[in-house]
Amino acid sequence: MKLHEKEMRAVYAETLNELIEENSNVVCVEADLSKASGTNPEVINKHPENFINCGVAEANMVSVSAGLAKEGKIPFCATFSCFASRRVYDQVTISCAYANNNVKIIGTAPGITQGPNGGTHMCFQDLAIMRTMPNLHVYSPCDVYELKSMMHYMAHDEQPTYMQLVRPALKPIFNDSYEFNPNKAVKISEGSDVTLISTGYMTQFTPQVVEELAAEGINVELLHYPSIKPFDAETLIKSAQKTDAVVVVENQNIIGGLGGAVCEVLSEHCPTRVKRLGVPDKFGEVATEQYLFDKHGFGPEQVKEACRLMVNG
Amino acid sequence: MNANVEFNHEEFDALANEFRAVITDIICRSGSGHVGGALSLVETVITLYYRVMNVDPKNPLMAERDRFIISKGHAGPVAYAALAYKGFFPKSWLPTLNENGTRLPSHMDQIQTPGVDMSTGSLGQGFSCACGVALAGKMNGENHHVFCIIGDGESNEGQVWEAGMFAAHHKLDNLVTICDYNKLQIDGTTQEVMGLEPLTDKWRAFGWEVFEMDGHDWNDIYATVNKAKAVTGKPSMIIAHTIKAKGLPMLENTAGSHNIKVPDAAAYQKFMDGLSGKKVELPY
Repeated sequence: MKLHEKEMRAVYAETLNELIEENSNVVCVEADLSKASGTNPEVINKHPENFINCGVAEANMVSVSAGLAKEGKIPFCATFSCFASRRVYDQVTISCAYANNNVKIIGTAPGITQGPNGGTHMCFQDLAIMRTMPNLHVYSPCDVYELKSMMHYMAHDEQPTYMQLVRPALKPIFNDSYEFNPNKAVKISEGSDVTLISTGYMTQFTPQVVEELAAEGINVELLHYPSIKPFDAETLIKSAQKTDAVVVVENQNIIGGLGGAVCEVLSEHCPTRVKRLGVPDKFGEVATEQYLFDKHGFGPEQVKEACRLMVNG
Repeated sequence: MNANVEFNHEEFDALANEFRAVITDIICRSGSGHVGGALSLVETVITLYYRVMNVDPKNPLMAERDRFIISKGHAGPVAYAALAYKGFFPKSWLPTLNENGTRLPSHMDQIQTPGVDMSTGSLGQGFSCACGVALAGKMNGENHHVFCIIGDGESNEGQVWEAGMFAAHHKLDNLVTICDYNKLQIDGTTQEVMGLEPLTDKWRAFGWEVFEMDGHDWNDIYATVNKAKAVTGKPSMIIAHTIKAKGLPMLENTAGSHNIKVPDAAAYQKFMDGLSGKKVELPY
């Protein structure tokens, strides 16, 4: 089985096992969602001594992880993104970021990928609220190759970090040779008419958008941002100077996340027309992905249309 | 006095008296602060630093040291007194409490202050962190203990009880926690604001070995902490009966002592003159 045929969570779990085998200080910390994160039975069976279940107590999980990190452990603690960000915001702030304890917080099932759990569990603000926190890196991988490389990077980097994790299998965007660098955006395609920017789950769709627009004669420069923080301003500015038009799409509220970061950089350094696509300041609901894309206007068709409008006015 | 000295009642009383003068002075100099919950812990903190814990001021991160986390992070000043007197940093730092650029912030900060094992201040979190530190100690096969102090008001936090379940579940018998039960919190008595009783029964029901002690009695503190250290198979909770603002009679047993305002020199003098112990010369 090729790596990209596996679920993202399966690769999360097998990569955790690899990391534990490299360094026994790596620990898997869960709050009764280990099956959802993919670490049960994968990690719990293989490395039970490195598996810590905190029960349904996310606040305690994050602060316990901080204590583990203080003693040299490298905890990867996972729960749904709604709990891993907004529910434990103060624990991540004080126990991890403020105290500089090397905790890796994994927010699973971000945004619309939460599907049938609906509005209570659909978190559209984790990138926004986590990136406003000092001393916290914020990542969102778009496929298994990036996930794996990112996790290896995280395990070796003594930096409190928040990472989104989509759970199902995803199309390969990269391959085995991919190396994650938090300081660099990835230019997936070179273009001159419009800059399209995406991160995480939405980068599953944007390469196809670029291909289809190319057939229409629109040359799109596609930038993928695996790291929302640190944020590679230089690549964005260079691209915006070239295209003078930016479309940004994310599986998040349009306020404050990747779109917010893009607008902050461009408004200060290179004022450029920007169209933000995502959820327009609404809560989630129980619905299919297509329904939510159409309702909120950030599916591939709407991204294409936004690019056309940017180019053709 | 140096590390784990012979106990001498008079010398320890004198040291406690000096700590109370220092704590009151540095808080009053800074214009405001959490005096009540620092003064209630003087005997406990002195006992830990002078009779119980294995720590090395010259090597604050020594691997085999006992860990100490004050989860009620606003009690920073009592820890700062102990750390300075033990030699973790110069006593001249003490009056810099809360000054711009200080290494001694009102709430404890592991990055700023040598000897501080966790940044605390958002209540409940330090206790969970102590559980993580204790679990790591067990995973690493280390023999040190983790001492943690929580507040009674702090025990209103749900996270305290999450941590309580966690510590018992993971059989963290290397964790000794002391609850500073002065029975007052910001808005009034603990019973008025959010009743804690039956507190010992609660911790027992959570699977902890529970002790009670007089938090101002040297012998009781020492004996109880040692009994707690000897417990195996479960964590220990010591309910320390204390007097908030102990040693400053005008504030003793008042909720208002949680955080006092000291607007001017007259107020400073009033509080310093109000200390019940023998006058001491401040060491800075």
